[in-house]
Amino acid sequence: MTKTIDGLMYLNMLRGGAGNLGANRTAVNDLNVFPIPDGDTGDNMYMTINAGASKTAESPLLGEVAMHAAREMLLGARGNSGVILSRIFAGIGKGLESEQKADTARFIYALQQGVKEAYRAVSTPVEGTILTVYREAVEYATRRNADSFEALFDDLLTELAASLERTPDLLDVLKNAGVVDSGGAGFVYIAEGMKAALAGLEFGAEAAGTAHPKSVNLDAFTEDSELEYGYCTEFLLRLQRSKIDIDGFDLNAFIGWLNSVGDSVVAFREGTIVKGHVHTMKPGDILNHCQQYGEFLTTKIENMTLQHNEAHGSTGFKPKNSKPKKPYGIVTVAAGEGLKEIFTSLGVDAVVDGGQCMNPSAQDMLDAYEAVGAETIYVFPNNSNIVMTAEQAAEMTQNTDIRIIKTKTVGEGYAAISMFDITVGDTDAVTAYLNEIIEGVVTGIVSVASRDVEGAVEVVKGDYIGFVGDDIYVDEPTPEQAMLGLCEKLRAGSYDVMLILAGENADAEKAAQMYETLKQQYRRTEIIMLQGDQPIYDYIMILE
Amino acid sequence: MLVLFTDTDTDLTPAAAKEYGYHLISMPYAIDGENIYPYEDFDEFDAHAFYDKLRSGVLPTTSAISTQRYIDYFEPFLKNGDDILYVHFSRTMTATFDNMDKAIQELKTKYPDRTVYTIDTKGITLMSLIIVKAIGDLYKQGKSIEEIMEWSKTEIGHYACYFFADDLKFFRRSGRVSGLAGTMGTLLGIRPIIYMNEEGKMVSVGKEKGRIKAMERLVSYVEELGDDVKNHPVLIGNADAPEIAEEIGAMLKEKFGDDLMIEYISVNPTAGSHCGPDTVGVGFRSKARSL
Repeated sequence: MTKTIDGLMYLNMLRGGAGNLGANRTAVNDLNVFPIPDGDTGDNMYMTINAGASKTAESPLLGEVAMHAAREMLLGARGNSGVILSRIFAGIGKGLESEQKADTARFIYALQQGVKEAYRAVSTPVEGTILTVYREAVEYATRRNADSFEALFDDLLTELAASLERTPDLLDVLKNAGVVDSGGAGFVYIAEGMKAALAGLEFGAEAAGTAHPKSVNLDAFTEDSELEYGYCTEFLLRLQRSKIDIDGFDLNAFIGWLNSVGDSVVAFREGTIVKGHVHTMKPGDILNHCQQYGEFLTTKIENMTLQHNEAHGSTGFKPKNSKPKKPYGIVTVAAGEGLKEIFTSLGVDAVVDGGQCMNPSAQDMLDAYEAVGAETIYVFPNNSNIVMTAEQAAEMTQNTDIRIIKTKTVGEGYAAISMFDITVGDTDAVTAYLNEIIEGVVTGIVSVASRDVEGAVEVVKGDYIGFVGDDIYVDEPTPEQAMLGLCEKLRAGSYDVMLILAGENADAEKAAQMYETLKQQYRRTEIIMLQGDQPIYDYIMILE
Repeated sequence: MLVLFTDTDTDLTPAAAKEYGYHLISMPYAIDGENIYPYEDFDEFDAHAFYDKLRSGVLPTTSAISTQRYIDYFEPFLKNGDDILYVHFSRTMTATFDNMDKAIQELKTKYPDRTVYTIDTKGITLMSLIIVKAIGDLYKQGKSIEEIMEWSKTEIGHYACYFFADDLKFFRRSGRVSGLAGTMGTLLGIRPIIYMNEEGKMVSVGKEKGRIKAMERLVSYVEELGDDVKNHPVLIGNADAPEIAEEIGAMLKEKFGDDLMIEYISVNPTAGSHCGPDTVGVGFRSKARSL
């Protein structure tokens, strides 16, 4: 029976959770409400928890591991379920922050913090999702108040499964699609994996995925660089009797002092050893200060600009330089070379790769924000499953006013960005103006159906469906017929402008024919067709 | 006596020039390096043929006329003992008027008793034409040059012109419009609204999505900025887009009544080389050039 867990065990549990979800992610992906491929929940959640499982340094100190893992998950979060998952673990991390070990009572407290933090992350929490499943399991475990971790996880798993089964009762979309909530299901796999780890199964970081040895690029900090991120400073300090009254050493006062000269402070005491972690611009001051209490066993000081670039080097964005910030910048998310070029030509500073089938991580968004390096950044996520990621990344930036225009489709993003006008007024006015533009936009989409669906429109797998949001309007044998049908249903002729983005699967000749037909049919509407090259969607139609 | 001059950049056709007694100075454009002088190298402007060439990818250039050409236009009249009033398009748009200054200076030494008066309409095409016509009317009414010069000091700011282009690549190339929002790389269905300011410069004042909203915006300027619109001509200019021009005309008549005095104008090829095909605009009597 496990009465307490330490950092090593907790990390092993995270790896177990990530491993089990990884092995079952396809099952989670398949719990898909809408009959076209989308940002798969299983993949998103796996990539999120695995960021914590694989990148967190091993340590016996529970608080340190929990906080480090939480930070990695916040950065690695993809999709709405990934963001919520990362916030659950951020809450747990906070609940364990000052602990070297935890018993079940403390862990249950931490789980409750996870509930609070996850609900805080969502502006309008929807019941019948991972939020409900996790909350009900924690409430059940709280009532049962188990005194061993094995029993605690049994409790959690019992209620997780029961709550998951109830999700279709809470959400009609689940009931209609005949599935349970995918995010909740993903969390069940995580909890199962954590329990397996508890039972003594060892999970290596490698099994969980992508830990790579660090290779530091010294050229990332040159003779002209400016120290932006400071130094990650870590030390093991042995308190010395010759210097102080060891029993009278006040750790809280020490942490307070560290916070006054740096941030990201973590400090613990084990016997006469104090372990410290702080980000500071002047590591020398820290070392000198510490030496009045004792002597160092080890120290490690790393320039975080190097760490930063090493961690961010693969995204394709140039690292932030020391040039003065420009007043504003635009970040958007798109998949498809044509669409990216269109956005770039409209003046977008950074197009984050991603979209329907591949949701970017908070880290990807953060990298884009930093690469743009503007005082105000207007962000157009272009997908409802990317909005929360964009917001999470915004919370992790400093000194930048990030305005997220919650565009749910590439169409809304295009409509708003093409009318972007900084002369409208101050930041609030520009934001309001952009939000106003997207209200009048209808984005119609044509894509191939990945399964049959019963409903007002009978959807046959392999047919092409035309839809707006969650509403399917037509089901036709070809994408062009679906477009023409969709135009009719949406009364395309009553709009001023129709912009069509042809996807990578669209046949150029058939698209051209369809374009001519549409121009004949809707003479009053100005019709423009561009090659978007987007995946999944044969056509995206933007009506304004 | 006083002889009136204007240039072809003001959209005045030879037929209309004759009616007012204007002499036309031809402002050239060039295709493939060959200069073409409107109404000298051809008698009638075939707008459709010209703008179709631009649609197919031809990008004409324009150039200033020489000092000598100005002397050739003006000298016969000065020699004859006449004075000249040249009502021209905006000085801020071209280097042509440096050459004109030199010509006038030269002619002044040669004919010290004669005067070449100039009036800058602070605009081009419609903006200029509406003023050229107003001055032509004053001239026909027998107003003296002093009265006309006095009128021009206060009245040129009381006409306005707003327009939108269909494809910004022409304006981008010519660099003659300021304030085009920096994010506008392509112009797909988005129409920047441009006007001619008090200095005769073209300035962008925002944009509209779609032709219909852009047309509505032009009409709204006539409503908000117009001054006694019903008793003055309203000019609707178009670069080979007569249907759009007529649609704007219908919208204006709906607002101001069927007896609104609308004149449809074809934008001359030299100015058209800068704005491109399907540009449409409206020129009207106004309280000021902008709100």
